[in-house]
Amino acid sequence: MPRTGVFICHCGSNIAGTVDIDQALEASRNFPGVVHADEYRYLCSEVGQDIIKKAIEEYNLDRVVVGTCSPRMHENTFRKAAAEAGLNPYLLEVANIREHCSWVHKDMEVGTPKAIALLRAAAAKAALNDPLEAPELDVEKRALVIGGGIAGIQAALDIAEAGYIVDLVEKDPSIGGRMAQLEKTFPTLDCSACILTPKMVEAAQHPNINLMTYCEIDEVKGFVGQFDVTIKQKARYVDPVKCTGCGICWEKCPSKTPSEFEMGMTKRKSIYVPFPQAVPMIPVIDRERCLYFKKGRCQICEKECPPQAIDYEQQDEYIERRYGAIVVATGYDQLDPSVYGEYGYGQHPDILTGLEFERLFNASGPTGGKVVRLSDGKPPKKVVFIQCVGSRDKARGMNYCSKICCMFTAKQAILLKEKVPEAKSYVFYIDVRTAGKGYEEFQRRAAEEYDVAYMRGQVGKIFPEDDYLVVRGVDSLSGRNIEIKADMVVLAAASIARHDAPDLGRLIGINSDSYHFFNEAHPKLKPVETHTAGIFIAGACQAPKDIPDSVAQASAAAVKAVGLLSKEKLLGEACTAEVDHSQCSGCLNCEAICPYTAITPVELEERYKDGTLQRTVAEVNPALCQGCGSCTVTCRSGSINLKGFSNEQILAEVDAICLQR
Amino acid sequence: MAERNLDSVKKIREAVSQDLLGGRISQVLGWEKGHYWWQSRPLFARSEADLEKLTWDSFCVINLSRYLLEELKDHEKVGVLVKGCDARAFNRLLQDNMVKREQVILYGLPCPGMLDYNRLCEEAGAVPDGIVENNGTVVLKTDGGEKEVQREDIMLDKCRECVYPDPAAYDQMLLSPQGEREAAERFKPVEELEELPADERFAYWEKELSRCLRCYACRQACPFCSCRECFVEQENPRWQGRAYQPSENFMFHLVRAYHGTGRCIDCGECERSCPVDIPLQELNRKLIKDINELYGDYEAGLDAEAEPPLLTYRPDDPAAFSEK
Repeated sequence: MPRTGVFICHCGSNIAGTVDIDQALEASRNFPGVVHADEYRYLCSEVGQDIIKKAIEEYNLDRVVVGTCSPRMHENTFRKAAAEAGLNPYLLEVANIREHCSWVHKDMEVGTPKAIALLRAAAAKAALNDPLEAPELDVEKRALVIGGGIAGIQAALDIAEAGYIVDLVEKDPSIGGRMAQLEKTFPTLDCSACILTPKMVEAAQHPNINLMTYCEIDEVKGFVGQFDVTIKQKARYVDPVKCTGCGICWEKCPSKTPSEFEMGMTKRKSIYVPFPQAVPMIPVIDRERCLYFKKGRCQICEKECPPQAIDYEQQDEYIERRYGAIVVATGYDQLDPSVYGEYGYGQHPDILTGLEFERLFNASGPTGGKVVRLSDGKPPKKVVFIQCVGSRDKARGMNYCSKICCMFTAKQAILLKEKVPEAKSYVFYIDVRTAGKGYEEFQRRAAEEYDVAYMRGQVGKIFPEDDYLVVRGVDSLSGRNIEIKADMVVLAAASIARHDAPDLGRLIGINSDSYHFFNEAHPKLKPVETHTAGIFIAGACQAPKDIPDSVAQASAAAVKAVGLLSKEKLLGEACTAEVDHSQCSGCLNCEAICPYTAITPVELEERYKDGTLQRTVAEVNPALCQGCGSCTVTCRSGSINLKGFSNEQILAEVDAICLQR
Repeated sequence: MAERNLDSVKKIREAVSQDLLGGRISQVLGWEKGHYWWQSRPLFARSEADLEKLTWDSFCVINLSRYLLEELKDHEKVGVLVKGCDARAFNRLLQDNMVKREQVILYGLPCPGMLDYNRLCEEAGAVPDGIVENNGTVVLKTDGGEKEVQREDIMLDKCRECVYPDPAAYDQMLLSPQGEREAAERFKPVEELEELPADERFAYWEKELSRCLRCYACRQACPFCSCRECFVEQENPRWQGRAYQPSENFMFHLVRAYHGTGRCIDCGECERSCPVDIPLQELNRKLIKDINELYGDYEAGLDAEAEPPLLTYRPDDPAAFSEK
């Protein structure tokens, strides 16, 4: 018989408010194997832990049950306390009588018996607990940052500065991301490129950063400390060592296609760098568009290239590397507003999204930095900005607020006034949201000093008439109908998750919210961690975010990654699966189901009649096993058990709950 | 006396005796006549004399592949006569890693469907003395005379509903194929049960399962039951209570059926071997139907290379089960 001690926590009034502690204590004393029971107001406090430690020694306890909050919160705290008292930490069992009980019930009559049942179950399980040892695992001292926007660059720089090698993987030919597309940044109106390009160059030149542009993640295996990642280096068809970035190839290339960087508003060549400040300044050939690849002739770039860097024979390459930690910073997309038929997006060249409008201010943009109508090249006199296009819209768009639109609209209205002094801006908004240092002041300046008319209301219809756009809306404060004959309309399209975020999430094994933004492990206390140990998130892939927030989160993620990389050894999973070879029939369904490739077949020799028989059985590699338990449920004969959660233990819990009410 | 198809038997015997006597295999699994004319039982032929007993008639219903589990312990290489369902059973064993393909020679026998003794007697009005098979009809001989009936009418249920009478796996096809049969309405009873409210459905199964003797004949006959120790016999933990009561019968039958999810080859041997006529195929087919509806059509045992739906993951797999 075990010698079990039960300790019940009041958690202030969190538990004690709904669970009669004395009654639970009394009941616990009668559980099989229980030789001691005690309670304390805050068991997780130092005093509380001491009560447990002293009792282990005094009563010679070999099992401990704590009735407290979720094991996610304090299982480690109590395991550590038990270990300090000389007990194997896995002999301690947590009964979650807070989240599973007191918090979901209102009155003691319900809460108390349920808490007792949960304690009884934990005591029954604890009796079957075995001492376990967590294996020590190596940490690969190398980090992977996925996404070369400002968040990824910042995270890579911070990790590199701490002395670790970082691979910065970017799917486009250049790093820079969304920020590279911006003209100015709010609320200080610094030139975006002026503050971004030094960071891009710093990343490219940092001895600890290995820039991997035009690369995609192909496969992620392994676990914290030892992620085995396959990275696909897409063929550039340009030798990066020979190329000098002189630009003759893209000057001479005869085939044109809409530029992704310019939001399709202008053309790029089939051999191209996305923008003039690209890092690295090495072009790629767009295989889908290149005349040579399509039709087998042209080869002008090859003929013209002074250092003869063009290489049509280049193939995609797959690079396999091991990383200790991964930071995901893949950014966001802009919603396509054409789903809102009333705004007429896509049907008129002067109806633009915020990001498209932004490009008009840029000296290397489609208009060379002149803010003019794309329809006739004239500067706009009246511009209507519409907020929340796809944001805060339960019916047709996203429920959430995209957070950056109020600010970038104010910024664009100010920039417009500076470029076209006679221009007048009108902003249709639901609410103006400007929380942030200097943000409110900035927006007020737009309204008060830059003659921007803010109108609370919605636009019902936009249609072209003569050479302007008629914008019909309602001012919801006065109730009046408004009609503006505008020269341009700018739609603040919602920031949405990258279209391929669900695939990437699945590939690297992190989960997403219903909008496909990656989930943080805890909304307040673990904002850059994910539920997968060793994988961190930063920037707008987690939720819409402005530059300062993205950079701050990137640095936070970098610290977490560095903290991990600085460890000599990590403690692995003690609760791993184990195969009973005598029962295993060797069907190897477990091998097929295991997400960690931890199961392999082994040959067994058995006595049979006068000789021996060979047969195949499954074997778990405990260093790879993460204790997910998938194999145990796929095994029909019950030959696999998860240590710490064995079939026997779980049935004992069920019996303890069901058999006695 | 059941009439033997002498030409076919001769052909089969010739083919297998070549391999057996030539030493390529050390045993052939086939059928021989049993005590009664309406029974054909498994034959474990190791010699020329054994092969004399080999038969192929309308009563060779027993699925032979299941015997490989034991026989391959004693023999390096075995030959097996396989009907459509035996071949699917073989693929089942292959996918479960219970046999190695190179250990077995499969002799394919396209199956005309096996006859049901009970139906014979019903049709004849007495126990017949024997039958004579014509093309598509069967003449039942009794003391009172002869009666000619449609063959289809006196076939076993499982054979009437069979879609794949030709072996899906074989090394040699010994007879000419039957061709795929009209997909019988095998899911109809399941659909009817699904229409019932939950309490009536429960009452139906409570009644059916109350007859269960827990003799486990269904398990013994089944090609998907290949555990070294069945959960019903395991002691620690003891999943299956020994008490003879409805909840324990439910436990056994539901777990047995679930273990066949995506694996049951629909051979019907469980139901045929049940001494108290529990409609076990309805349980199996409910799960076959669910798998088809959730993951797309999948016929277990037809193709040993096809990925079993429950062992594969696709991003578009349904995330939730219907509320039905």
